[in-house]
Amino acid sequence: MIKPSITNKLYNVKNLQRRHNDIRAYLFLAPAILLAGLFCWYPAIKAFVESFLTVNQSGKILGFAGFSNYRILFSDQAFLNSLRVTIIFVVLFVPLNTFITLLAASLTRRKSRHSHLPEYVFFTPVAVSLSAYSVLFRELFRGKASVINRLLGLSGGWITEPAGAMATLVILGVFLDFGIDYILLMCAFRSVDRKVIEAARMDGAGGWRLFFQVEIPMIRETVLVTVFLALKDALLISAPIIILTEGGPFRSTETIMFYYYIEAFKSGNRAVQNALSSLVMSFAAAAMGIYSLRRRRAG
Amino acid sequence: MKVQRRPSDMVKFILRKVLLALLALIVVFPLLYMFSSSLFSASDFNEIRIIPDVPQWSNYAKALTDRYFPYYMINSVGTSLLASAIRTTIIILAAFALTHLRFRGKNLILSALVLTLFVPQEAVLYHNYRTIAALGLIDSWAGIISTSLFSAAQMLLLMGAFISVGKDPYDAARIDGATDMRYITSVLIPQTAPAVMTIAIQTLITVFNSYLWPLLVTNRPKSRTIQIGITMLGFSESGQLGPQMATLVIMTLPFLILLAFAKKWIENALIRR
Repeated sequence: MIKPSITNKLYNVKNLQRRHNDIRAYLFLAPAILLAGLFCWYPAIKAFVESFLTVNQSGKILGFAGFSNYRILFSDQAFLNSLRVTIIFVVLFVPLNTFITLLAASLTRRKSRHSHLPEYVFFTPVAVSLSAYSVLFRELFRGKASVINRLLGLSGGWITEPAGAMATLVILGVFLDFGIDYILLMCAFRSVDRKVIEAARMDGAGGWRLFFQVEIPMIRETVLVTVFLALKDALLISAPIIILTEGGPFRSTETIMFYYYIEAFKSGNRAVQNALSSLVMSFAAAAMGIYSLRRRRAG
Repeated sequence: MKVQRRPSDMVKFILRKVLLALLALIVVFPLLYMFSSSLFSASDFNEIRIIPDVPQWSNYAKALTDRYFPYYMINSVGTSLLASAIRTTIIILAAFALTHLRFRGKNLILSALVLTLFVPQEAVLYHNYRTIAALGLIDSWAGIISTSLFSAAQMLLLMGAFISVGKDPYDAARIDGATDMRYITSVLIPQTAPAVMTIAIQTLITVFNSYLWPLLVTNRPKSRTIQIGITMLGFSESGQLGPQMATLVIMTLPFLILLAFAKKWIENALIRR
């Protein structure tokens, strides 16, 4: 009779201690869980669920909507235009950004006595804020009578013309991502084992061959990270547009996230806002999923 | 090993240096223009000068005495310092629990936190705005910082650092009767100082530089941060452009100086030897 009660008691003490340990751990995690729940999971689920409901301006649910919110979104010419603009931006920005940052990193990949200054210069964009660069570009590219035209002897209208505004936005995008990409790539180049490079040199590989067949493959993972970051930034770009062009001229720089900003915060269009939120989240989740699967397989 | 120098090597060498100089000049040009134009008069802007005709040092006085400048600056510095301190603390606590403690539902909680990486903040702006409005936090520091108080990416970074410390010091500290908090503050943080500092500085810069979120959750000029402020100063009249550029210099220069010192740390952290 006694034995079971002792083990029972011991079991209870152990259980109590375990529960105590659990509660302690939950207390440590509570702020993180609360924040992730309130500002990530709650809005994500809310947007997803509401994208299938009819919701009025003040947030009241009026009924089930099926896919009609998505149909409204895809029949809006402004949205289709913003899709087109975003694709053009991605196609122009991602290759240019990758090329320029790789060029800068490869030109400074060997440490030398005088490499400090160019390296610092290439680091500086991380210290300059998005709105600072946007304000500067608004002035530098302000139109026909602009600093850039005067310096380069050009006569284009830049932010006052559709093509020029897109060009300005692409260049601004490169400046915004340049610093962090350069830091990652330059450090990756310098992490390549010297022995591998010396061995390749011994085998007679030099110059271009050494660069393309030895060094670039060795930093492939970092290049992929920068391309992935560039893609993400390009698909989600909106703040620089708010400052630089406000989507114009003639909606020529109205990307999907700028369109989202206008519809959600200026027009109060709940249908479009929720549907677009869900689409962007699904796309991001798919992209992240593919990326992390790839990484797992690679490493 | 001495590399033999042929004439074509010399040409390549010079070409490389010219290309490097050109690229560096392009990258630094907007900053040079920022410094130069912070001394411009209205006519310097109108006549598209690169160097001011007569340097207008009064632009700095005008920038500093702008009615809202002190508010912008206090809001920016205050929110970024506060967010940095709170976020770093929250991440330290979470990373500690996930690496050092055993408890039920650990994997579930870890997944729920890490999977937030899959939701871009830009896509949930509207509902987060509604939450902040419902909590009555519009025009407050709490409203500006509350969505940036957690980062799964940084938590993973810190968990990696905590794991590398190992569990032996923790077990030893427990036997000596030290509490978890004491262990975190006197062993774990000093041992992983570079990672903790990286997180704190990264958060500081991110929050100081953020634009869209503070724009959405502030209405009164006095509640705005400097990033919003500079886009609104001198929007129309070119007479205000000089002081606006001076404001840009004032808010950018500290970070340029910080970067000159931080460059070495960043390289040490990222270059594997």
